Amino acid sequence: MSDETASMGEGLQDFLGLGDRSLEVLFGSQSGNAEALASKIVKTAKSYGLDGNVHDMDGFDFNSLSSKKRVIIVCSTWGEGEQPDNAEELWKFANSSAASKLEGVHFAVCALGDTSYELFCESGKEWDGLFEKLGATRVVERIDCDVDYDAPSSEWTLKALPALAAVDSTGNFIEEMVDEIAQFASGSSVGASGDDGFSVPSIEAEAIQVEISVFRFDPSTNSTGRDSWACAIPGHLSVMEALRAIKEGHDGSLSFRDGTNDDPSTAISVNGKLVLPGRIRVDSIASSREGSLRLRVDPIPGSDVIRDLIVDHWALERKRESSKPWMVAATREGIQTPQGVIGEMNQFTALRVHSLADYDSAPLLHSSSDAVPYANGFLGPAVLASSWARRSDPRTAPERVIEIDSILGSSNGIRAETDLAPIFRRDGYSKSVSEGLLEARTKTIENDSFNGKLGKHVWWYCWTVKSSGKVNDTVLYRQVLGPIGLLGNLFSGVTARMVLGFTRTGGNVLNSLLGMVAPPAGIGKMPRQFNSTVADHHQVVAIYNELDGRF
Amino acid sequence: MPLKYAYHPGNVAHSGSPEVADTMNAVARNLGLELTILDGATSCGAGIIRQANERLQLALNARTFAMAESHGLSILTPCAATAGNLKQDLEKLRSNPILMKEINDVLAKTCGLVFSGETEVHHLLHVLVDEIGLDKIEKLAVNKFDFRVAGYYSPYFQMEGACGGDSVHDPDYFEQLIDALGGSPVDWEGRVLSVGAPGILSEESTALRQSAAVISEAKDEGAEIIVSACNLSHSVLDIYQGKASRVTGITTNIPVIHLTELLSFVFGNHNTRFAQLRTRIAVIGD
Repeated sequence: MSDETASMGEGLQDFLGLGDRSLEVLFGSQSGNAEALASKIVKTAKSYGLDGNVHDMDGFDFNSLSSKKRVIIVCSTWGEGEQPDNAEELWKFANSSAASKLEGVHFAVCALGDTSYELFCESGKEWDGLFEKLGATRVVERIDCDVDYDAPSSEWTLKALPALAAVDSTGNFIEEMVDEIAQFASGSSVGASGDDGFSVPSIEAEAIQVEISVFRFDPSTNSTGRDSWACAIPGHLSVMEALRAIKEGHDGSLSFRDGTNDDPSTAISVNGKLVLPGRIRVDSIASSREGSLRLRVDPIPGSDVIRDLIVDHWALERKRESSKPWMVAATREGIQTPQGVIGEMNQFTALRVHSLADYDSAPLLHSSSDAVPYANGFLGPAVLASSWARRSDPRTAPERVIEIDSILGSSNGIRAETDLAPIFRRDGYSKSVSEGLLEARTKTIENDSFNGKLGKHVWWYCWTVKSSGKVNDTVLYRQVLGPIGLLGNLFSGVTARMVLGFTRTGGNVLNSLLGMVAPPAGIGKMPRQFNSTVADHHQVVAIYNELDGRF
Repeated sequence: MPLKYAYHPGNVAHSGSPEVADTMNAVARNLGLELTILDGATSCGAGIIRQANERLQLALNARTFAMAESHGLSILTPCAATAGNLKQDLEKLRSNPILMKEINDVLAKTCGLVFSGETEVHHLLHVLVDEIGLDKIEKLAVNKFDFRVAGYYSPYFQMEGACGGDSVHDPDYFEQLIDALGGSPVDWEGRVLSVGAPGILSEESTALRQSAAVISEAKDEGAEIIVSACNLSHSVLDIYQGKASRVTGITTNIPVIHLTELLSFVFGNHNTRFAQLRTRIAVIGD
């Protein structure tokens, strides 16, 4: 702990140690996640001078809250927006005329849910609204956590606890103390040796000299350019923190989306890598050129730039909306459980469905396709990955599956992607997302019975490799483009460039001209009409016959 | 000790780009590379076969790996698309023992081959920098390539574990090589972007817009020539160059050659062709 933190801590310790420092943490839990999270919060609360108590909502005396000063609600949502079983009775009572007002209470709500459901985090939202209605004071905004709730809930806890700790023993919220308490608690953090599940060891790095070059766009003058700053900053700073430092210390006009470390809308490109800037350290991404480190910061590609690093996500949202991402569930047979009849899904299917759309930022995934900026109307990998996950979900209604197939197979669907490789190569999401997109493409091609240009391309590619072991470009051109396409290439100069090797430097021009005698038969630079077969070609045929008899 | 590799020429070297085969032979001789031609190797699938049947592409490439292993060699290819596809399939098989066994069962039944996963896949660019060394290459450079050169990597081998010691997202091996060969490397973002080569037949207009944007950036940054480490992308960057210009209205005239051609010319081979190229660079462009 630094000297400054220590002296600051002495004044605070009196405040944090005086009078009533109780914190009530109520959990509404179906699967145990909310309960576990409530326990973690109470453990962490000690660092903020709070005496935390965990309460199961089941059997809890709601009116006892009216005399409390600090309350946290951690509540999951069950089914289609319902309260978990252990919260139902309390919820009913809290909404009845017998419920006490909560005017002296300061509160915060952490809602757990699943974005797969239309009513996401509904129970938490209901508690949040009810506490406000009963006169309680909200000290931090509610957080709505998806199934991967660990990181966002941890971050939220680090905001909620200092705020609640700033409520003194008389019930007054002293807002100006929040930052001081947060800093004090951070300084006294148990770090890596802590067992509270929240504290992450702080790994500090030496200051490094780095040149940060940032893309600038001024919409008022419609001008673009780059600004560069050479500065010495600690290597462990996140890129987001570095941008904040530039904005605060050098150029207040620098615009970027600020947010939590996991905020998907903060996505930017740093040295060509698509990242969430709060998640990545400067020293892990800076590239070394001629002895100095550099960061080249750009907006993510594929979206209109509003100003500097801020892009417009609205177009992506409209595409998402057009894909109707919500669940349309089939009526399914359930199984009898002590809690009543519920639907079931085996863990492998559940894992697969989840992993197909397990990406951390839709804008990041969207911009990972190099085709997106150039294919008008293309829905892009983020929308298509979510659609494919829905299609692969056994709960989805059959009529909805047909609709999704239609979206995937449309001219703006998966066929509009010219190249899957850029999506595969970029990280930030699991490979299962890109592999899911490949599956979606395969399914679309099969649904079309290998018709259309994409289907024919794939079919004849496979066919020619079976025939000789090598791809035959001439067959592909002829079968995919057809006579009209070949004529188009002839008049657009494509064929001429093949024959003459206009800018190329190999081969005998005469041989290539001979290729024109029987177009598109190729000799020399023109693709060959016939391929020689690879050695042991029969093995290739045998592999095809073993694995895929269609070709 | 010569460096020994099993050689996979890629998809287009035997077909529309014979100049790759011509120049690669000369380059291997100059560098002292001992290449064993894999006569039985099939197309890498170019990511196309896996769109119909992923296991089919895996089995075909596993057969190629098994052949390289039978020689006790790693695979070398001058094509980024081939390097990327082979590496992706190699890693997929290595990381999934059940899948590897299933594919090995197919290989055993159909070819009598076994694939252990011991082979490696290298692109020529990474062998030049990581294995041979730029200092040796600089000594071999008898014809300095004194142009402003945009080195095009393509996205295919810019993956974790597939680009040697180079950076995945911000590579500079090509620029180092160009510098060693006497050229002035151009700094440009488009060097790792796709030009839509796998989709040129099915989504032509999008691919043409992609390639026009990449070429245009190279020209804007002052490049006099593009050198491609990807033979597949070269076909779009070069053959479809004029069409891309007509579709987009962007000026795209620029010579585009293969990495193997660049090396061959600088090492003193194919002097007539190099003279033609010099003339073309002087003539073509804005």
